[in-house]
Amino acid sequence: MGEIIIKSYQEHELNGIIQIDANVCKGCDSCKSFCPANAIDGAYGAVHHIDSTKCLQCGQCLVNCPFGSIKDTEDPLAEVIKKLDDPNITVVATIAPAVRVALGEEFGMEPGTLVTKQMYGALKKAGFKIMDVNFAADNTIMEEGTELIAKIEHYILGIPSEHEMGPLPQFTSCCPAWVRYMELYHPNLKDHLSSAKSPQGMAGPVVKIYGATEIWHTEPEKIYVVGVYPCTAKKLEASRPEFTAAANYWKKKGHTATYQDTDVVLTTRDLARLLKQKEIDLRMVEPATEQDNPMAEYTGAGTIFGVTGGVMEAALRTAYFVITGEELANLNLTPVRGLATVKEAEVSMKLKETEKEIVLKVAVVHGTKNIEPLLKQIENGTSPYHFVEVMNCPGGCVNGGGQPINPMGTSWLGTAKAILPWS
Amino acid sequence: MAQFDDQAVVLKHGLGTRVFHWGLVLGFLPTASTGIALWLRPFSGAGMHTVMQIHIIGAWVLSLACIYFFLFQYKRVVSFWREIFTWTKNDVEWMKVQGGYPQKIFLGKIVPVPAMRKMNSGQKMLGIIVFFGVILIAVSGWILYAALPAVPKEIAFYADKMHLILGLFITFCVVFGHIILGIYNWKEFVCMFGDGTMQVSEAAHHNALWVNEDIEVVKKG
Amino acid sequence: MKYNYVEKAIQVTRREFVALIGIAAAILWSGAYAVTDVVQDRNKYIKMRTMGLYKDDEKSTIRQSHHNKSLMDMYAKLAGKPLSPMAEELFHTTYIDRTKLA
Repeated sequence: MGEIIIKSYQEHELNGIIQIDANVCKGCDSCKSFCPANAIDGAYGAVHHIDSTKCLQCGQCLVNCPFGSIKDTEDPLAEVIKKLDDPNITVVATIAPAVRVALGEEFGMEPGTLVTKQMYGALKKAGFKIMDVNFAADNTIMEEGTELIAKIEHYILGIPSEHEMGPLPQFTSCCPAWVRYMELYHPNLKDHLSSAKSPQGMAGPVVKIYGATEIWHTEPEKIYVVGVYPCTAKKLEASRPEFTAAANYWKKKGHTATYQDTDVVLTTRDLARLLKQKEIDLRMVEPATEQDNPMAEYTGAGTIFGVTGGVMEAALRTAYFVITGEELANLNLTPVRGLATVKEAEVSMKLKETEKEIVLKVAVVHGTKNIEPLLKQIENGTSPYHFVEVMNCPGGCVNGGGQPINPMGTSWLGTAKAILPWS
Repeated sequence: MAQFDDQAVVLKHGLGTRVFHWGLVLGFLPTASTGIALWLRPFSGAGMHTVMQIHIIGAWVLSLACIYFFLFQYKRVVSFWREIFTWTKNDVEWMKVQGGYPQKIFLGKIVPVPAMRKMNSGQKMLGIIVFFGVILIAVSGWILYAALPAVPKEIAFYADKMHLILGLFITFCVVFGHIILGIYNWKEFVCMFGDGTMQVSEAAHHNALWVNEDIEVVKKG
Repeated sequence: MKYNYVEKAIQVTRREFVALIGIAAAILWSGAYAVTDVVQDRNKYIKMRTMGLYKDDEKSTIRQSHHNKSLMDMYAKLAGKPLSPMAEELFHTTYIDRTKLA
C-alpha cells in the first residue's frame, strides 16, 4: 500500500521554522505536552524531533522546553539591518499588541510593563517608521464584525445578503497556527473561518498602499515591512504566497514588481536582539508618542487582541453598536476574560429600530486542542454558538511562541500531567 | 568486656538492614549505570528509551527501599544518623592514616589504626554523602519524572543539573570507594550479603569499640 | 543463622521520637508548600502581561474599533467600507485544504 506523503505547505512557505537541537534535547517529553498537533516524535528518554508536516510552527514547545533545546531557525536580523542601512528603503515596523507588554522583559523589566512609548522610541532610533498593528486590529474588527453581522442577518434574521458567505458559527482567523490547524486537520470545516485576514494580513496592504500614498509618500516598492509579533507562526503566515494584495493592487496601476505584503517577521525576542545589537537600551531610550502618526492610532478594542477573549470582546463592542445602534453600557465583557480553556457568553441585543431581540451565543477557546469538542458539535449539527474565538497559545498571544521566555513560568494550564512518562 | 570465645558469633546486620541494602544494590546499580548512559547518550532512539525505562525501574526500587527503611526501620535510621555525626579524636587519627588501607594494599605494611565503633570514619563520611545525596537525587529525579511540565522551567533545569552532578559524584564514591573496599573486606561482604553474622573475633579487629561496648549476649526465651 | 551476640537495642526516647516526626513533618510540609506555591504561580507571567493590555484598554480614550478616526480616514480614502469590493480584495482571503497539497 503506497504511503501518501502529505506535504502540507504551499511553495515558498517557511516550513521548518521550529527545530529541536538534538545535542541538547533530553527526551523529557515536556514539549509533547504542549504541542497542539502531536507533531513531535521521540520516545521518553530519546532525542525528540519535530515533524514539520504536522507542525503548526506555533512555538509553544520552544517557550516551554526547560533546557532551551528548541530553536526558531528563521533569523532575519542581518536582512533587516541591511534594509535599515539602505537610505533608499523606508522600513516600516508593524507592531502587534502583545509585544508592548513583554518586550521590557528582555531588558530586565517585569512582565506586563507597558513599554509602548519606549518601544516606539527604540524602533525610531533604529531607523524604523511605525505602524501599530492595533490599528490593523481595529481594521480586522470592522471587516470581521461586518461579516458576522451579514451572516446573522442572513441566517438568523432572514435578510439575504449579497455577499458570498460561509456558515455559522464563524471562527476568528487572526491566529495563523489555528488557521493552519483547520486547513490541515479539519479542512472540511474551513469555511467556518472568517474570510477576514489577520491583523498582520491587513497591515501589509495598508502600509504598502495607504501608507505609501498618504503617509510616507514613497514608492510601494521602496517600502520594506517588518512585522514584529509575539508569534513564530506569523513568520509562516507572512510567507503565504497569496499574501501579495499590495503588489496585485499596484500591478493594476501599471507597476510590475512582486513582493509579499509583509516582507519579514521579527518575534519579540528577535526585536530585543536587534535593539541590543544596535546598542539601544529600551530603558534609556528617548520615548516617542507617535501621536501625529495616523498609522499608530488605535482603540482599546484593538490593543486587547493580544489576550484570550480580547478579539471577542473587541468584536462584540462593535457588533453590539451596529446591531442595536447603541454603545454597550459596560465595555468590559468579563465572561470572556480569564484563563479557563473554554469560555462562553451570551449577549442579548435589541435590533435597532425594531422590538426584535436576538441572543448572540459566543465561545472563546485557547489552546488549540480545546477546540475539538466544539468542532464535534458543529459536525453533529448541535453547535449552540454563532461566533467562536480561537487562539492557539494558552492565554492568547501574550504567551506566544515568539515572546520572551519566562524561566519560572510555563504555559501549563491543566492540573495534572498530560501524559505518562512511560510512553 | 569479657573475653569472647573463638567460635562466638555476633549478628552485625539485621534482616531489615540487609533487605534495605539489597534494595540499594538492585536500585542503585542499574540506575547509576543507565544514568551515565543518559548523560553521555551513546545510543540512538529506541536504545535511549530502553535505557530510560531501566533507569526508572531502578529509581523506583531505590525510592521504595528508602521509604520502607525510613518507615519500618526508623530506629536503624536514628542509629545511622547518630553514628555518622559522632566524630571523635579517634576519627581524626583514623583519617590521618586512611584507616591503614593504602599502606596495606600498596606497601604491604601494617600500621596502627585507632579503634572504631560500628562504622569507621571513612564509612561515616560516605554515610553523610549518601544520606543527603540520595535524598536530593530522589527529590530531583521525581521532579523530572512526575512534575514536568507543571513545574516551572527553571526548577526543572536546576533539578536536572543537581540530579546529574550528585549522581556522578555518588556513583564515583560508591563504585570507586564503597564497592571496592566492601569487596576487599571479604568477611564484611559475606556478612552483609549473607545472614548478617560475623565472628566476634573478626568484628573485634575492625570494630573494637562496638564489640566491647555496644553488643550483648542474646537473651534466651 | 545462629549467633550468640547481638547489638544492644537502640534507645529512642519519646521526646526524640516526637522531635523526629516533627522535623520530618516540617521538612515535608515546607517542601510541599514551596512546590505547590511555585507550581500555582506558573501562569503568573501570562496574567501579568494580560493585565498590561487590559490597562492599555482602560486608559484609552477611545475603546471601540468603529471610533478609530484614522481607520475611518483609511476607509474613506482607500477601501470605502467593510466588505466592499476593495475591502474584499485587500482584507479578505480564502483558505486551502492542506491535505491535498501535492
